[in-house]
Amino acid sequence: MAGYDTAGEIQNTYQAAYDEFGEDPGYWIRYFSPSPAADVFNSDPTAECEGAWASGGHFVGCISAPNQSDLDGSSGTGQLDAQTFAAAMLSAYNTVGPLDLPSNSELWAFLDQEYNTSLSTSYWNAWANYIGNYNFAGLGTYPLFPALYCTPDSPWPNCSTIAAATGIDIPITVWSAVPEPCGAMKDQPAFDPEECSTYTSSKVPSNLWQFGEQGVCGYSANVDLDLANVVFADYCFRVLSDP
Amino acid sequence: MQTLRRPGRAPRTGSDGGGLTVSRREMLVGGIGAGALIALPDLSISGRASVRSTAAAASGSPGSGYVLLYGVPDSAAPPGGSVAVAMSPGSRSVSLPAAKPVAATLATAPVSSPDQSAVALVTVDSVPGGAKVTLTLVESATAAVQQQGSVTITGIPEGTNIVPKPVFAPGTTTIAVVLAVTEPSDQRLVTKRNPRTGAAVPMQAVTWTSHHELAYFDTSTGHVTGPFSLDNAPALGLTTAAANGSDLFLWSTAEPQPISAEEKRKGTWKAPLPWLSAFPLGSGRARLSVPSPGPWASGEPVVTLASGDVARLVNGRTVQVGSARTGEVTQTTIAPLAEIRAKPSSLTMQSRADGTVFITKPGIGQAVIVDPSDSFRVTAQVSYPVPAAPLSAPSSKAVLSADGKTLYVVGGAKAGGIAAYDVSTGKLAGSYSSGRQYSGLYQLASGTLLTLTPGNPRLEFFSQELSPIGTVSTSLLVSAVY
Repeated sequence: MAGYDTAGEIQNTYQAAYDEFGEDPGYWIRYFSPSPAADVFNSDPTAECEGAWASGGHFVGCISAPNQSDLDGSSGTGQLDAQTFAAAMLSAYNTVGPLDLPSNSELWAFLDQEYNTSLSTSYWNAWANYIGNYNFAGLGTYPLFPALYCTPDSPWPNCSTIAAATGIDIPITVWSAVPEPCGAMKDQPAFDPEECSTYTSSKVPSNLWQFGEQGVCGYSANVDLDLANVVFADYCFRVLSDP
Repeated sequence: MQTLRRPGRAPRTGSDGGGLTVSRREMLVGGIGAGALIALPDLSISGRASVRSTAAAASGSPGSGYVLLYGVPDSAAPPGGSVAVAMSPGSRSVSLPAAKPVAATLATAPVSSPDQSAVALVTVDSVPGGAKVTLTLVESATAAVQQQGSVTITGIPEGTNIVPKPVFAPGTTTIAVVLAVTEPSDQRLVTKRNPRTGAAVPMQAVTWTSHHELAYFDTSTGHVTGPFSLDNAPALGLTTAAANGSDLFLWSTAEPQPISAEEKRKGTWKAPLPWLSAFPLGSGRARLSVPSPGPWASGEPVVTLASGDVARLVNGRTVQVGSARTGEVTQTTIAPLAEIRAKPSSLTMQSRADGTVFITKPGIGQAVIVDPSDSFRVTAQVSYPVPAAPLSAPSSKAVLSADGKTLYVVGGAKAGGIAAYDVSTGKLAGSYSSGRQYSGLYQLASGTLLTLTPGNPRLEFFSQELSPIGTVSTSLLVSAVY
């Protein structure tokens, strides 16, 4: 099933998306702190969850887009960015009563690496380790799994960086930004994202694909369109009722 | 000495010892910092002055200058760098002063002084009983170290991460340094389900707790005051900071903690707000500390205004001004920047000498000059085509000339290249494209424009009239230029 990602607030986005595409999304993917240029989900998670409920897409995936110049930085910088991301997800979870973890206790947490951004080994390993090691809500289940949004064919280090990761630093999946055949919610392309394995020794699969980006595809609603080869909602926050 | 090459020829692959090569291994020594800073001659100046000597170029005399490049080494790139000069008026095959390494294993990206005359860079090294934080001030024109000072953080456990943030205090000789100190504790063996196999696997877990410390570096003496612990654990390590001539202003946020299922069900928990605190320069005690509207401090652009107030740009469209006197925060949304798109945009915000502020948001192709003394009234606005990757590093994709008359931007997604706009009319004044898509654009002190691209040659120099001057290949993955 397809879903949307957006830097806007769900409650201010879903109606326009429905008007354009005529379908409820299977899920939303929203930005959390640190994402200094976006409206972040954790600023008003109750209103966001109300929007998600009203949209019919009752699942919220999580991504963080730190300053992109951070990503080729030190392990300390990676750790601080991850700390704020994990805290932002916890803050939303604490705030909204009916916002729950996925039933499989496997919440994918994406780092946004854009096309011209370089990802250093120091940064990634520290970022991923903090996410994977975070005792979310004190539950003792360690339900966060680091994941990477990137463009596998970018000349900058991305897939090669995660190919060198070990243990819990290995991302659970890649969300590929390419290719971009565009399409619509009712007119989806066959699942065919770029894979890191095409360019490097990385075995991390691309389970999520941004097949339609607003700027490239000319969508009027403030959404990008995404498709998965797994039930992606199973790896998102669940909005169990209208908050 | 660098070998000069014509554009279009493949970069040299052999090591030439020219100073542009920085090995990854070298960068990762200590594991604390990965970044490196190298100084490259301003190609336009070197090209113009074929009879200039290296010594003259390094003397800091008018017209001389270095470009400071920050980044990490590309392990896949050719081991040697090369420099090329294009055949354009005013440039020819000449001998260039050698590029030189300035610093390695930097903990964070360097920070420019308000007048761009110097950069501050910080390294963190493990020493017995703690960590030594060293701040180095480098003169931009000569790439020479002007001053250096250090402070040792003691009483921290092994494995502590320290992330420094230098903050220039305009009109003073003080650089404040905000230190995010993150300590490990409660190391334990736990199990975590491996979703690939379904098996529960053992994992070493650690609890990380952050607090902040302040230190103050005097650029005239190299003396460091502090460190002063703010005793604010558990805090989020990320902060936003700016300073005026008397105070350091710091946005910081308490780290949220787990709550009980009952408290979550009731829905009464309140997320922490960021707090804005003002510390007199040289002090670790806040003279005021007030709650601020969100979002949390996350690396958003921040400037010091001519009034002494401080301003941060949040959500890509709203300026939050913190009063230097009371800390009270007021908000103004800049109308031309209000458009939201599915993908965020990189942002830049800079104070100008005349008191106005320049802001650009490449993701919607907008640049504005606003007047803080007049409720952030928009005094100039330029619209330009959205570049191919508006969120990518570096954030500098549009720059305003020093006289404020011309806006230079990286070209749009279709055309690539670079373009210039007349700020007074908002109209296109000129453009150049060879089809290359540039990821970043800077204007050097000489007025020369410098673009970045992912593949070699990574650097291209242009005149202010957008004529190509030359190219440079380097093994450094350049993420910022000073």
